[in-house]
Amino acid sequence: MAEFVKQAAQLTALGPLTWLSEFCSEAQQQWLGATLPNRKVENWKYTNIRALEQGDYLNLATKAGDAAVSTESDCQKTVAICDIAGLDSVRMVFVNGELCERLSEGFDRLPAGVQLVNFAKTNSAQQDLIKRHLGSALDTTKHPFTALNASQLVDGVFLHVGKNTVCETPIQIVHLQATTDQAITIQQRLLVVLEPNSQATVVEHFPDSANVKAFTNGVTELLLAENAQLNHYRLNLEGDQTFHLGGVHARLAAGANLNSFYLALGSVLKRNDVVVYHAGSGAHCDINGLYLPRGNEQVDYHTCIEHAVPHCTSDESFRGIIADSAKAIFNGRIHIHRQAQKTLAQMSNKNLLTSNKAEIDTKPELEIYADDVQCAHGATIAQLDDTAMHYLRTRGVSAAEASVILSFGFINELVNDVKHEAIARYLRPFLAKSFVKDETLTRHIL
Amino acid sequence: MLSIKDLHASVEDKQILKGLNLEIKPGEVHAIMGPNGSGKSTTGHVLSGREGYNVDSGSIVFNGKDLLEMDTEERAREGLFLAFQYPVEIPGVSNMEFMKAAVDAVREHRGEEPLDSVSFMKKARERCKAVNLPIDFLKRGVNEGFSGGEKKRNEIMQMMLLEPKLCILDETDSGLDIDALQVVADGVNALRDSGRSFIVVTHYQRLLNYIEPDYVHVLSDGRIIKSGDKSLALELEEKGYGWLVTADEEGVA
Amino acid sequence: MSQEQIDQLIQKEYAAGFVTNIESDTLAPGLNEDVIAFISAKKNEPEWMLEWRLKAYKVWKEMVEPEWAHVHYPKIDFNEVSYYSAPKSMADRPQSLDDVDPELLETYKKLGIPLHEQEALAGVAVDAVFDSVSVGTTFRSKLKEVGVIFCSISEAVHEYPELVKKYLGSVVPQKDNFYAALNCAVFSDGSFVYIPKGVRCPMELSTYFRINESKTGQFERTLIIADEGSHVSYLEGCTAPMRDENQLHAAVVELVALDNAKIKYSTVQNWYPGNAQGMGGIYNFVTKRGIAHTNAHISWTQVETGSAVTWKYPSCILKGDNSVGEFYSVALTNNYQQADTGTKMIHLGKNTRSTIISKGISAGKSSNAYRGLVRMNPGAEGARNFTQCDSLLIGDQCAAHTFPYIESKNPSAIIEHEATTSRVSDDQMYLCQQRGINPEKAVSMIVNGFCKEVFKELPMEFAVEAGKLLEVSLEGSVG
Repeated sequence: MAEFVKQAAQLTALGPLTWLSEFCSEAQQQWLGATLPNRKVENWKYTNIRALEQGDYLNLATKAGDAAVSTESDCQKTVAICDIAGLDSVRMVFVNGELCERLSEGFDRLPAGVQLVNFAKTNSAQQDLIKRHLGSALDTTKHPFTALNASQLVDGVFLHVGKNTVCETPIQIVHLQATTDQAITIQQRLLVVLEPNSQATVVEHFPDSANVKAFTNGVTELLLAENAQLNHYRLNLEGDQTFHLGGVHARLAAGANLNSFYLALGSVLKRNDVVVYHAGSGAHCDINGLYLPRGNEQVDYHTCIEHAVPHCTSDESFRGIIADSAKAIFNGRIHIHRQAQKTLAQMSNKNLLTSNKAEIDTKPELEIYADDVQCAHGATIAQLDDTAMHYLRTRGVSAAEASVILSFGFINELVNDVKHEAIARYLRPFLAKSFVKDETLTRHIL
Repeated sequence: MLSIKDLHASVEDKQILKGLNLEIKPGEVHAIMGPNGSGKSTTGHVLSGREGYNVDSGSIVFNGKDLLEMDTEERAREGLFLAFQYPVEIPGVSNMEFMKAAVDAVREHRGEEPLDSVSFMKKARERCKAVNLPIDFLKRGVNEGFSGGEKKRNEIMQMMLLEPKLCILDETDSGLDIDALQVVADGVNALRDSGRSFIVVTHYQRLLNYIEPDYVHVLSDGRIIKSGDKSLALELEEKGYGWLVTADEEGVA
Repeated sequence: MSQEQIDQLIQKEYAAGFVTNIESDTLAPGLNEDVIAFISAKKNEPEWMLEWRLKAYKVWKEMVEPEWAHVHYPKIDFNEVSYYSAPKSMADRPQSLDDVDPELLETYKKLGIPLHEQEALAGVAVDAVFDSVSVGTTFRSKLKEVGVIFCSISEAVHEYPELVKKYLGSVVPQKDNFYAALNCAVFSDGSFVYIPKGVRCPMELSTYFRINESKTGQFERTLIIADEGSHVSYLEGCTAPMRDENQLHAAVVELVALDNAKIKYSTVQNWYPGNAQGMGGIYNFVTKRGIAHTNAHISWTQVETGSAVTWKYPSCILKGDNSVGEFYSVALTNNYQQADTGTKMIHLGKNTRSTIISKGISAGKSSNAYRGLVRMNPGAEGARNFTQCDSLLIGDQCAAHTFPYIESKNPSAIIEHEATTSRVSDDQMYLCQQRGINPEKAVSMIVNGFCKEVFKELPMEFAVEAGKLLEVSLEGSVG
């Protein structure tokens, strides 16, 4: 793996963002000093990243951004892939890691007080803001791949919502891969800064765009100031050849409210590390997620909810259906610091294995240093409920269809909680198709 | 319609039904009464084909077909409906999806075209109103967070949508107040016709004031020990089950 | 409750903390092949046993101390530990309990474990281990009548070499972990139990471990074999004097439950926990594991109140179809104690069942972690596990952690895991006090209630004792 570290560091001789060069070169030093995690490292005990080792992924895309969608038919196809009907979003589309301006649209609908811009296009005031906040919500030593990300930044997205500003229009950031001759590495970066009392909706959308071998190494930072509210979605729908390491690092000031929804269909590996740090009293987060690997795919969610101050609440629920020879990993940690009295923290993880070659490794953890708190977690691995199966069959529904309806119900409970109805509508067919191919069985759930 | 002959059934190796005989003709309403543990609910589960309820001997013929040869869903499609004593909650699956799947399956079995969504919705709304449930119940998860009475009314609504030939009501009156009881009874009475039969399983005579049975049977220790007309129910109300059960034991002795 | 009241409650004395003044043969500190040869020679062991020890020593030298547990303590210098200590009077093995040094008998009497059979607890046979040797085993002849073998492991090596050779290291292999390997090299004494086919052991078997000498480690080894269709209930207890230094205890317990056998293993662990400032106390690094064959049943119950640092995961390998594993645990830490304890349930056979009930209580500045593994292997068709982990925090300076590892490779297996944390609430205390119950009693009532599910698994005599022990251990913890 040491070889991989060196090769990866050579991929770009620091990106074009000269105003960020200090930040980037510091990260590069860190990356060079890093040891890649192996299975003896507790946090990577169940995760298999061997596919990275060969270094096949370490290439920059030859075609990216506008260059990748040069023809009109390319464009139309791509728009169709990005579109979430009824979302009416402002959209930024990245192709192979570079902004595609032709497909990005709707900026004029952003209200005053909202700045949405890619790093390469920032003015000096924006650059100052980015420099102040970038990297402030994450610990590179605990998450080595974030150093790789920072050391190779070519571009990124900066969203800034000013004080008391409510941005009703959802902001959709799409990351596509266009066919290239070889496997490619993409560093994805998003920085969201919500000033006090502001509100926004952000959709990080990774559609299944092409049958491309790609390694996306993503870092998203969500900084919520006092009483800010963010609805956040991270939808990992990329194809089965992709390798995705993602980190979402959120920091909540007093009274801030984060509502996040995660979805991962399987691939070679999709791993997301989600860290939510409650830094101010009265902050709250809802974190829900679904994972649906099949074939030989692997999905991994590592969540860590940090409660550092009193009177905060968190509610987390992840569910997965693991099919064929797939493997899923869930590690959900709740950490209550000594000062964080009166915390209420809940976590639940439920799993269905549908094949005798499938595997789930789940680890719900509590680390508690304060006594006046209410914390609970639960994890189950089980089959479909017998009584519910029977109930459906007494109504004439076949056992095969009943099992599809119940499996879908199992994940649909979380989809029903998705705040934005357009997104729920968009997701349901993906979910249904991901675990059953026979359309006659899914006709009643869609 | 239904012919049960010398039925013996057990749950987890415990014999519950010990020689049950019952003949039901089209259009008839039969009440099965009896003390707790007599095998009333087991009868419903055996008829619906629930796993774990094993038939050891005897036969059940339903509309000329061997019921015991059929899967649970085949029985339902053939027109056998069980209104559950404890309707099951299925979070994440809406009532609407659930009912559409059921109605389609039954129609397909009868060789009918599937209902299009609009007609189905219309029908479902009507039935929903008929049992006094708000329309938005159709969108909610199956029985999820419903009160006891709402669950029972939902069962009747499903029955009205599926239009079965034989309806088995398993203690549908338990836990209902007078108003809800009336709604349930109205639903059942509206479905009564010369081609449809009912088995009303109940512990109390009360329900039979609303749904008038043609026959009343008393089940005790897995067998019918007395049959009569609706006056038998009133007699039971007055005297309880003790006199019958004791008499039966003496008879055996 | 006021801080003062709390402090009063917490500061109770460790009752088993006295030192027995007895002349001992104690080996100078240090570990090498000669020391191992010395221990083996002292016990007059056959050649195969010495070879087995030396092999383990080689394995151990290659291993590193594990650091993954959530405990912190200064590095142990394994050359500062003495690996053998025995009362001089034991040099010529006493032939019966009547020959045992009265000072020793008095020690056990003071601990509430009379060894004279006429005074002994009816229905409980006791093997008493003092530092590195067994000083006597009660009711042996009575047990022999039904074919039950209950003796020290040193004796078993001589008397039943075939059984020892067959099963020693069969459940916990030498290279299993650092401390287990060390134990294999230097183990001194411990108990050996064999229950023949179809025999239901007529009385509770019990071993009482006592560390007395300073600077010594205790490395006991217990091996229990329940042959087909047999039943046995076994209990161990442990204490040590109050000393300022930390002493090492690294035991290995192996249980073999053959087809249809049942072993119930209960532990009341009350090693010296160190003083209120965190000075002294036992380092308790223990490997306990059982293997359950077809239809066999292994049940671990532990009440852990002692030791400065505990690292212990009594486990079950559910190898046979329909085998059952259970783990019931109460772990209480106070002052500066640290515990990282839990279990492993490895489901290999079909329809295997396991239950884990863990109750952790943290008080003072202590840290208490549950760490458990439930693994369903591909062959564990229809297997089930239920786990309930509850933590109770007393005071705002302690810590409670839960680290469950849940792995499943079988779609028909069902696993349910739940964990909660709670504290002794002001409301509860207020209610008790308003009803005239003093704070100390109130806390102990609440804690006892919290632990009830586990206590009911203990043999009757010990359930009462365990309750009392908690009360003593909690003294001064009410805050």
